[in-house]
Amino acid sequence: MINFFNQFGSQLIFKTWQHIYISGISLGLGVIVAIPLGVVLTRYKRISGFVIGLASVLQTIPAMALLAMMIPIFGIGAKPAIVALFIYSLLPILRNTYLGMENVDPTLRDAAKGMGMSNFQSIMRVELPLAAPVIMAGVRLSATYVIAWTALASYIGAGGLGDFIFNGLNLYRSDLILGGSIPVIILALVVDFLLGRLELLLTPKTTEEG
Amino acid sequence: MMTKRMKRVIKLFLPLVALVVTLSGCSLPGLGGTSDDTVRIAAQNTTEQQIMAAIIQGMIKHYSNLDTTVINNLGSATVSFQAQKNDEADLTAIRFNGTDYQTILKKSATKDPKVIATTVKRDFQKKYHMTYFPSYGFADTYQFMVTQKYAKEHNLNTVSDLKKTAPQMQVGIDQIWMNRKADGYGAFQKAYGFSFGHVYPMQIGLVYNALASNKMDAILGYSTDGRIGSYNLKLLKDDKQFFPPYQASVVANDKALKRNPQLRPILKRLDGKIPLKTMQRLNYQVDNNLQEPATVANKFLKDNNYFEGGQN
Amino acid sequence: MQNMNIFQQLFYYFAHNGMYVLSQFDRHFLISIYGVVFAAIVGIPIGIFIAKHRKLSGWVIGIANVIQTVPSLAMLSLIMLALGLGVNTVIVTVFLYALLPIIKNTYTGMLNVNADVLDAGKGMGMTRVQILRLIEIPLSLSVIMAGIRNALVLAIGITAIGSFVGAGGLGDIIIRGTNATNGGAIILAGALPTALMAIISDSVLGFFERKFDPTNKTSQ
Repeated sequence: MINFFNQFGSQLIFKTWQHIYISGISLGLGVIVAIPLGVVLTRYKRISGFVIGLASVLQTIPAMALLAMMIPIFGIGAKPAIVALFIYSLLPILRNTYLGMENVDPTLRDAAKGMGMSNFQSIMRVELPLAAPVIMAGVRLSATYVIAWTALASYIGAGGLGDFIFNGLNLYRSDLILGGSIPVIILALVVDFLLGRLELLLTPKTTEEG
Repeated sequence: MMTKRMKRVIKLFLPLVALVVTLSGCSLPGLGGTSDDTVRIAAQNTTEQQIMAAIIQGMIKHYSNLDTTVINNLGSATVSFQAQKNDEADLTAIRFNGTDYQTILKKSATKDPKVIATTVKRDFQKKYHMTYFPSYGFADTYQFMVTQKYAKEHNLNTVSDLKKTAPQMQVGIDQIWMNRKADGYGAFQKAYGFSFGHVYPMQIGLVYNALASNKMDAILGYSTDGRIGSYNLKLLKDDKQFFPPYQASVVANDKALKRNPQLRPILKRLDGKIPLKTMQRLNYQVDNNLQEPATVANKFLKDNNYFEGGQN
Repeated sequence: MQNMNIFQQLFYYFAHNGMYVLSQFDRHFLISIYGVVFAAIVGIPIGIFIAKHRKLSGWVIGIANVIQTVPSLAMLSLIMLALGLGVNTVIVTVFLYALLPIIKNTYTGMLNVNADVLDAGKGMGMTRVQILRLIEIPLSLSVIMAGIRNALVLAIGITAIGSFVGAGGLGDIIIRGTNATNGGAIILAGALPTALMAIISDSVLGFFERKFDPTNKTSQ
């Protein structure tokens, strides 16, 4: 144990940072794109069914297959990994944003209109805050996926904690396998826990206002 | 009432229990799990390993009723060795005696091929109860390679010629060379008296690509690879004879050979049957012609009539 | 080969290695199915049990949730350290990940059964086992099916990773493609069938899910 930290301590910090960095960018991009897209979809009912359906189908594609398909297009390294992970993170967020917005009580939307709010104001002040917990649940699910698949992305040269795991598998070194697996599990659980708290934090506030 | 209810509970769960018991038995149907008459072949993640695994599989199917399964994609000789030692695999498709001499037996006393061959055969038998079969007929060795263009520009023919450009060079290597003792990077630096600017350990299958697309200046490849031909790579002569040739053989657990006595004569049929040129050709078909190792192996066996009669 | 575009290469590949792809497809599907079947055998009774003993439900679902959060590559490698290389390790990993959707959905399905219907059953003098067999399970079958559907899609993805511990399956083709010169076509030859298997399994089980839905009149 101490041996491992002596030998790989600085690497461990670096790989963990890489892991957080890749997951963070992918998830961040996913949030930036998926939430507005989900909101827009609620205003265009005709295509929403199709888009959500497509998103659900895409989500069933195994990550390993999706990551591999990026290689012929983008080559190897962090870039194709981020693209693939970004696509993956889109889907749960998009779906949950759409569902969250749809579930907002229509009378509240009417009330907002009645108060003279514009469409944009209604979304920002009424609908999004009410849908926040559901959206957060989507973000949380995406975060779990992205952290898990980032470990896998090491295989296409993205770096991150998966490097330890793959090296361990390649050399039959249990210290490397444990040194990669345990931090990545802790990372996943901590992020899930924090986002779970955030989800809870958002929930009572909206019920008070609603 | 109570007994009736219990009977019903039992009735409900009995089929489930029965199902679990049958399915979790020794071998799951269709997957050739761990039953006694399944030969488990370990293969690493190189083309050559996977071709040989498929050849062995084809031979066993042709000459016996034994089931076979391939434990594929293992990352290094250490992993396949561990798999055999832990009885997760019965044999490894290819082991190189020079590699085993260093990484498994942890010896570095000599680079004499004869001493290595006898030591490895003897020690594997004694220490691990594994049989090192006679060589397939080809040896593999590490070889420095550059593109023809780079060789011309810097006037390169031997490894020693690299000395001048070495500090600026980016060199792609496999994932274990850095940590090897007698023929690893450390010993190399001592023997040749120079080191490279950067070395990049990577998946061995990727180094040839990296060289051909000019992402690397030189690579340390394997002499049997089919891509040497397809990329027309320049091989640099190992003028200090630093890298010994490593004879390739199949290595099987004695336990498995005892359990299935048909196995030994089948494996012996491959003795000396695959010379270097043949291995290069088979590798080439997989690496360049979009054929699976299994496809290439089956065709090869059919073309050679499964080495019928050629038993020594 | 170099003068063909990637789709011609793909076609050429399937023409020459069709049998091999098919055998890996089979293997891949079998590994996934075994894991999910074991998970169903264990998970459905657990789901029923915690629906009857709700105090336990928080704990059991919590543990299954934690398992779900663990990155699959990490889980696979850890189980490999315990069980060794090969197919059994992958089946156990698939089993663990398939548990949560199955337990959770069985539990939800059981809880959603209308209390009036249960009372009616009791009123007719049914035993607990009869109620379970004739009312609760049929009524929650659709929800349980949805869980199995999620589990199978997950399983197909995890089996693809299983190639890293030597289990074989379509992941083998993908990995070989990543190692090969201009392996784009080989990668697709492994990745497309994997994606297809997931999508088809999803829609077929989705069909059964709707069929078992008690509110779906066409199935009655």
